[in-house]
Amino acid sequence: MIKIENLKASIDDKDILKGINLDIPAGEVHVIMGRNGSGKSTLANVIAGNETYEVDGGNITMEDTDITEMSIENRALEGIFLCFQYPVAIPGVSMAYFLRSALNAHRKYQGKEEMDALEFLNKAKAILSELGLDDSFLKRSINDGFSGGEKKKSEILQLLTIDPKLAVLDETDSGLDVDALRTVAKGVNKFKNENNSVLIITHYQRLLDYIKPDVVHLMIDGQIVKTGDMSLVEKVEKDGYSWLEK
Amino acid sequence: MIDTLKKTSLEFFHKQGYPNKKLENWKFTSSKNFKKFSKKEISDISIANISTDETTLLFINGKLCLNTFKNFRYRDNIEINELANIEEKAILTFSDTFMNDAMFNLGMSEFDGGHYIKFKKQMNVEDPIKIVNLFQNDTSDRRIVSFNIFHFEEGSQISIIEKDINEGAPSFNLKMNKFICDNASNLNFAKYVEGKSDCHLLSYSYYKVRKDVCINMDSMNKDAIFSKEFIEIDLNNTGSDAKVNILNLVKDEQHLDNNILINHNAEHCTSFQHVRNILDNKSSAVFNGKVIVAEGAQQTDSNQSNKNLLLSLNSTAFSNPQLEIYADDVSCGHGSTTGALDENSIFYLRARGIDQSSAQKMLIKAFAKEVIDEFSLSSVQDISEIALDRWIDG
Repeated sequence: MIKIENLKASIDDKDILKGINLDIPAGEVHVIMGRNGSGKSTLANVIAGNETYEVDGGNITMEDTDITEMSIENRALEGIFLCFQYPVAIPGVSMAYFLRSALNAHRKYQGKEEMDALEFLNKAKAILSELGLDDSFLKRSINDGFSGGEKKKSEILQLLTIDPKLAVLDETDSGLDVDALRTVAKGVNKFKNENNSVLIITHYQRLLDYIKPDVVHLMIDGQIVKTGDMSLVEKVEKDGYSWLEK
Repeated sequence: MIDTLKKTSLEFFHKQGYPNKKLENWKFTSSKNFKKFSKKEISDISIANISTDETTLLFINGKLCLNTFKNFRYRDNIEINELANIEEKAILTFSDTFMNDAMFNLGMSEFDGGHYIKFKKQMNVEDPIKIVNLFQNDTSDRRIVSFNIFHFEEGSQISIIEKDINEGAPSFNLKMNKFICDNASNLNFAKYVEGKSDCHLLSYSYYKVRKDVCINMDSMNKDAIFSKEFIEIDLNNTGSDAKVNILNLVKDEQHLDNNILINHNAEHCTSFQHVRNILDNKSSAVFNGKVIVAEGAQQTDSNQSNKNLLLSLNSTAFSNPQLEIYADDVSCGHGSTTGALDENSIFYLRARGIDQSSAQKMLIKAFAKEVIDEFSLSSVQDISEIALDRWIDG
């Protein structure tokens, strides 16, 4: 699904990513763990095309299309979806208008007809119901006045509505209570199938109790230094990261 | 009475001269733009191109058109007198702020043929009354001065939508309006300026508010080249509520200036000022907002907000929100922000597949919508949203 080769990126002349190699095939869930400042969120943002970061080398390929130089919106239309660690509040733009605009941008890119308001509402309401959210959620401004849990549920609502090829979850589990965590995990499990992929960036095992990863990567100082299975998560929970530096 | 007022006003103007930038209210707007204009006689007036219906009050160069008034649906509930026939000084005079402003005095010395329009007790109008101000000019550099008084008697409930139309050569329109709101009256006054015009506008609106009154003053300015507006509201009795919501869409080299003063002179009154400017190109906007809470005006609840969205590095916003509080049991807040479109918000929208141009438009509309949603008349909300779309695409 996505292949990253020797990716290097910096911000304000400070090198953050120092040669990332990552291959996530369709149908797989990968996890990246690492200390604060190791470059996890930078990687998520660079995949999504955040122009704050400078790509200094390497490339990102999405289903054989090189997206390294592609605009933010075209990457999204190619199937990349970033679940934001800190979703932005945008007062004055309703969730319904925003979601329908985003969905129809994707449909147009895929050569499909735009979805009318009624059809969209039916689709959105079904997802809201599964996430335990009220229909009035759609009338609210994007993330404006949302609790931490609501913000993350809003991201999952967007994920399930747009149905991309690759979901990158940037610390989506941070700051969630157990119920919200379960709801988020339920949403991600509903999303994943053999035709798409999930990349989870996290500090903790607790989300992985609900979403079982196929591959776990550990990141230190801008590089993936270890790749393995769920046992790596257990080791990190027990011993931290210092053993990787020995 | 009128003649005395005109004479003293002219003397005041000659003594003061055109306002300079040392004056707080004229700090960011130069009065030199007004100097080339002078009072000139107007010859032929034609209203052939103006469509009016039975809910329209037509003013031509500031004077009520009595011919069209004959067809006005609510004429039986309105009493009209020429200002020349008003003897009562209290009706004709304005606030000290206006009476001490040189340009206002120039206007008072020159107005001709204004009316005192009284909306009778308990008058209740379902459809908004439309006020069309037609400024028609056949020669260059003409100053057109108007003065009208609107009196809303006890218990009246009136909605008014005002629109200015400029025809012919560019003029300098100096408008003075006084609104007297009697006990328990309810006034929704909305105005919008749309349509390319090279005219200069300077307006003075004074609201004298009595007990348990509710006023909503909404305004959308889109195409004014140069506009300076003074609004002063005196909340003189208990239990009244005044809201001022203004959206200015400014581009090219346009300049818009809003001066708002709300005087809380009595207990248990609320006021709300919400002014948003969206500026592009080399345009500029000024917000001078002030709330004065007098001694004894306890339980005042007042809020003042000015937000400026700069779409260009060459646009400029001057913001000066002020509070003067002389009572000790009040709730007053004020705030001002000025900035460009938020890059994080644009990234968020683009990361969902929305292209950059659409994302920017969405954020501009969201910024404007917060004040449009506060407008009291749904028809004005609709007009404003359409005008906003045109402005963004224009």
